[in-house]
Amino acid sequence: MWTQIVATCLGAWLMAASAVLAYGPPAATNDRIVGPMALSFAFVALKKVTRGVRRLNLPLGVWLVAAPWVLGYGATVAIVNSAVVGALLIACALARGRVVQPYGGGWAVLLPGRDVDEAVRHGPGASGAAR
Amino acid sequence: MANEAKEWIPPSWTYNPSTWPPRLPIVGLALVGFGIAGYLTAYQLGFIATVWEPIFGRGSEIILTSWVSHVLPVPDAALGAAGYLLDAITGVVGGRGRWRAMPWIVILFGLAVGPLGAVSILLAIAQPVLFDAWCTLCLASAVVSLAMIGPAMDVLLASSNTSSARRPGGSRGGASSGASPVRTSITSSRREGRPRPRPAQRGGDAR
Repeated sequence: MWTQIVATCLGAWLMAASAVLAYGPPAATNDRIVGPMALSFAFVALKKVTRGVRRLNLPLGVWLVAAPWVLGYGATVAIVNSAVVGALLIACALARGRVVQPYGGGWAVLLPGRDVDEAVRHGPGASGAAR
Repeated sequence: MANEAKEWIPPSWTYNPSTWPPRLPIVGLALVGFGIAGYLTAYQLGFIATVWEPIFGRGSEIILTSWVSHVLPVPDAALGAAGYLLDAITGVVGGRGRWRAMPWIVILFGLAVGPLGAVSILLAIAQPVLFDAWCTLCLASAVVSLAMIGPAMDVLLASSNTSSARRPGGSRGGASSGASPVRTSITSSRREGRPRPRPAQRGGDAR
């Protein structure tokens, strides 16, 4: 859970970073788009039942690491900030934390072809939800 | 009484997601959101002349009079207020067993909470990117709607299992699905102390 608290703070930092560190677009624009998304995903992932949402921050983290080269950032401070925050976000997205109950098979029961009985029997390890 | 309370716990869960202690804070948040959105609506409709903005100078003014906020026939804050009100109402309806007794109310509740949060995120992105301005109360409203998502989703998950299990067995496709509609249906499980299947231990407790 604390990893998602860290990720929430990372998202909030991205929203403020361009003003605090005084860098402009395209880095500022990118961070102001990714920031609220990362913050929201991490915030929702704080709850165990929606912990799986943390995975959405994995592509965002990868993008933050790659963005300075893809978008051609100018300021060194923006490049370093993007890479460091991206790496930390990846780490937080991968850490699952303790989820001690299977929630009746989790969200996978909503997928077509999943049977509730089967999901309950196998738990989240097999169904891939609520992780 | 203890047995009755236990019976409302979804299969393989450790707690009942529709008891009042977790629900009331969500309803409270929805009412706070309704208050904020209502205030912003009053400004957007011209009922009040100025809007409270402690941090970002003219930020709120710029955001609340921007073209995005008037894309629709009604101001965006009015839609938010309606959404919060729907959240509060669908959050209050039903008793402690509502995840199973009235799954469609719960699913409506989840559908009201989820998109409201998603729209809030999009608006929080649009503020600095399109207008280079922030609006304190809009951000506060976004935080409120985000804070409701996590707590609201567990009861949605419990009800989703119920309602999908209540469909005719064939529609779920699985060969073994014949047994599930009976076990999770309302009438059969409310009266009998229904046996709750235990999940495979390694699935739930490992890691």
